[in-house]
This record gives sequence, C-alpha cells and structure tokens, in this order.
Amino acid sequence: MRVREDKRVALGDAAALVPEGSTLAVGGLSLNCSPAAFCRELVRAGTRDLELLAVVNGMATDWLIGGGCVRRLIMGLTSFEGFGLAPNFRRAAQTGAVEVEEWSEHTLICALQAATAGVPYMPTRAGLGTDMPALHPHRTWEMLDERTGIRFLACAALKPDIAVVHVHEADRLGNARMNPKLVWFDTELVKAARTVIVTAERIVDTDSFRAAPERTAFPSYAVDYVVEAPRGAWPTACWPEYDYDGDFYRAYQAAARDPEGFAAFFAEHVGPLATGATA
Amino acid sequence: MSYELDELVVAALARELPDDTRAFNGAVSFVPVCAFMLARATHAPNLTWVAGSIAVDPQPSEIPESTLASTIWDGATMLQSSVADFWAYAQSGRLNSFCFRGAQMDAYGNVNNTVIGSYDAPKIRLPGGGGMADLGCLVPRIYLWSTTHDPRTFVERLDFRSGLGWGDGGDHRERLGLAGGPVVCVTNLAVLDFHPESKRMRIKSVHPGVSVDDVQAATGFELVVEGDVPETAPPTAEEVDLIRRLDPTGARKREFA
Repeated sequence: MRVREDKRVALGDAAALVPEGSTLAVGGLSLNCSPAAFCRELVRAGTRDLELLAVVNGMATDWLIGGGCVRRLIMGLTSFEGFGLAPNFRRAAQTGAVEVEEWSEHTLICALQAATAGVPYMPTRAGLGTDMPALHPHRTWEMLDERTGIRFLACAALKPDIAVVHVHEADRLGNARMNPKLVWFDTELVKAARTVIVTAERIVDTDSFRAAPERTAFPSYAVDYVVEAPRGAWPTACWPEYDYDGDFYRAYQAAARDPEGFAAFFAEHVGPLATGATA
Repeated sequence: MSYELDELVVAALARELPDDTRAFNGAVSFVPVCAFMLARATHAPNLTWVAGSIAVDPQPSEIPESTLASTIWDGATMLQSSVADFWAYAQSGRLNSFCFRGAQMDAYGNVNNTVIGSYDAPKIRLPGGGGMADLGCLVPRIYLWSTTHDPRTFVERLDFRSGLGWGDGGDHRERLGLAGGPVVCVTNLAVLDFHPESKRMRIKSVHPGVSVDDVQAATGFELVVEGDVPETAPPTAEEVDLIRRLDPTGARKREFA
C-alpha cells in the first residue's frame, strides 16, 4: 500500500526551498509570530535577490535585509515599535541598497485576495487621496465605477511565489494550527501563494488534528512543506507559549549603533552581515 | 492634585471620545490606548476598544512595549483571528474611530509616516504608513495626536501623504466619496479642531501655561483662531489616579521622550 506524502523538511535544508529572485511573503504581525528561524536560515545560506513581501513586520525583515537577501521590499510598515526603527531596513532604504515599495495593510490584502480569486484587481476605498498609489501606478490605480459613481482604488493581483508562516503545531501531511487560531495576515498569504511553507513549534500526530478539527487553521492541501522549528518565532512572540524577547530587541538596537560591533552581534545571533549593510 | 503633561494629553484625548466610540489601535499608540481605557472608565462606559485590531474589549493590567503585542489582549471577549473580521467591520462602519500620529502633519490633518525628504532618496526612512492609507479613508472619526508640537512636525507641506485627513480641505473627502474625517488633534501644547468649511486646523483650547502665540509659533502653517481661546481643563484627581492605575508602568511616557 502506498503511504501519504510526508511534507517535512529539516530546518537546515529549508533555505533550498527559496530560489534566488523569488517573491517571498513572510507572516507575522509586528512583534508577533514571524517565521524568524526560517529567515535566519536564508541569511546563513546567502540567499540573494528576493522580492520580500512583509505586510507589518520588523525583525525578520531587518534580518533578511541585513543578510543582503533582499532586492525589493513590499511592505505596509517595518518597525520595532516601542524598541525603535528597524536599523538595517532604515539604512538600506536611505542608501538605496533595497528598493522599498510601500503599500498599506489593506491594499496589500486586496492585492493578495485578487491573486487568490484569479481576478485582475480588487477594488477598495482604502488609499484614496494619499500619495501611496502613485508609488506603483502599474499596481494600484484610481477608478470610477460609472454605474454607482463610486471612486475606488484598484489593487492589482499580487501572487507570492512562496509564503512562509509560523504556527504552533503541524503534522507531516501539512495540517497546521495556531493555539488559539490567531492568524491575522497569514491566512491571506497562505491562500494567495504558489508554494506554502509552514514552520511549526512542534510536529504532532494527524490524530491530534482529527480530535479537534475545528482548531485547524490551514488544511493539509494548502500547505506544501512543513518545517519543525521549536522557538521558531523568536525573538517575536508565539503567544501564548512565549512572549517577544524585549531584551534581544534592546541588545540588537544597542549593537546596531556601533557598525563594527554589529557585524559580530549579527553573526552570532543571525548570520553573516552583508558587505555594505552598515555603510 | 499635581499631574504630568502626559496625563493632561491622555485626559484631553479621552474627553473627546463619545460613548458610541468603537475604536481600535495600531502600532506605537500608547497615548490613544490610555485614552480609550480612561474614557471607558469614566464618561464613556459603552466605548468599545479593539486592542491591536485583534482583541475585543480587553482589560490588560499594564501596557507592553508594543501596542500590537499579545499581552495587551488580556481579558478580551474575542480575538479577531483573521483580517476578514477586522477589515470588514472597519469598512462597514461598525468600527468608527481610529487615532493617527505622524512624523509630519499638515493643516488639514493629513499625516506622513513614510519618509522625510524625497521618497526615492530619503533623508530619514520612517516605518511606513501601515494601515494609515487605509483607515484615513475608511474610518469616519479620525483622532490625531502628537507629543512633538513643533514646526518640524506641523508643516505646511508634507514630504509624503501616508494617511488622508481632510485631503486638500473643503469638500475634498466628499468628492472622493469618503465619510467623516479628522475630529481633533491633541498635542502637548493644545487641542486643535478643524474649521467646518475650510477644514483647516483651528485652536480649540491651549494647555495651561501655553498661549495662542506659543501654539502658532510652534506650528509651520497658519492656524485658525476664532474669538477667545479657552484653556484646556487639566485632568481631575480622579482622571490622574485612573491613568496611573490603568497604565502602571507608564508606557504612555514613551511618547514623551
């Protein structure tokens, strides 16, 4: 008898799932639940030329930029919030080392939903009257619906090649759940992307999903690879199992003030800091 | 009872929030979060606050370093687990209030949190607008706040319009088909509202010890001044006591560095 496919990939082999030049979407919300361990693997593997989509993110984005992995960043917000501005992001944006394509939370969700639905664009009233649509006029443009007279912004479909999100538990088939089911943008990323990678605190038996199917966040058929990554969201939070690591955010910011020392700090905690990242 | 400036600002913002406020907060929103909790504990018991746009009606014992962090969700009646929950209600009008601050704000309450300088070669790259570009359009009651009322923040012309206030003024929002707009802007110097016709910022009250001239001198555009401008009422002893209990670690003070 044939057995069902085992979608597990070791964390150490996971970077190979992301080809150079990919459009990679990473999940999480600010200090919550980014797939940080996975992003660290990309830095260590020296992955280059990514188009990174991170809607509201901080540390994982800053790691990937510091590691020289990112060519273009598509984002709504990149910040460490109470811990300050993300230093590699800020520097790379100011020097032009990374092209920053700023959208907004809802227009990005619309673009992902258009990709999911297979329609050319999604209409929204968000973004009207701001300077944001003109930053990418080929992807967001104002339209007037002649039947109703309603003005709206058209958000062109944006389909990530790969989405990676972090969850509490997954099985070898790709079923994934959060405890509780707190997925925020991650659902939109998972639905839209061509390839979906889930990193999980723990791998559990499929029977554990059958015992509580109402708690499953992503079904097996929506997930292509499963990577076991205990504390894989660190230093962001994986609520309610662990909180964000405020000490690490503070140490990172302190280290970033000294360009020479920062390379050593970054190497110790993340991976090699790209040449020119501290210029 | 003595009070600090941060308590005055929190109380002034709280008093602007009516009982039918159904608000939510974004990142780095320590002052609004305190104001929501204070209003709810005083004149606006029906005010509903959705923490981080996720946790409905929470009762946190303190405010963490991030106003999107999970510890602020304590005691919530619901965790809105997907964007389908939050954005639907934000667009339909069930949620009706949001607070903005920006590195720059203009006379019409538009805000910039994207770049200082040009977009392509910024002098300072700021975090980005996040949901500002969305919520300025979708939410009918926008409350602005600032703890740095100076000519660098309050500018004639934004370097980038991340979030829509009253747009170009007058009936601009109406022409775009958008409801409502900014209600007030509470700063470390004054409470400002908007002229009903021109939609330009107007001085509503000046904080104790601050003159109308001080406020104008700290503002990079001409403010509307009508008649005698009253003084902002200082926080009461009850308000000060509540603020200190609701935010025992003083997270709000992070905005008053």
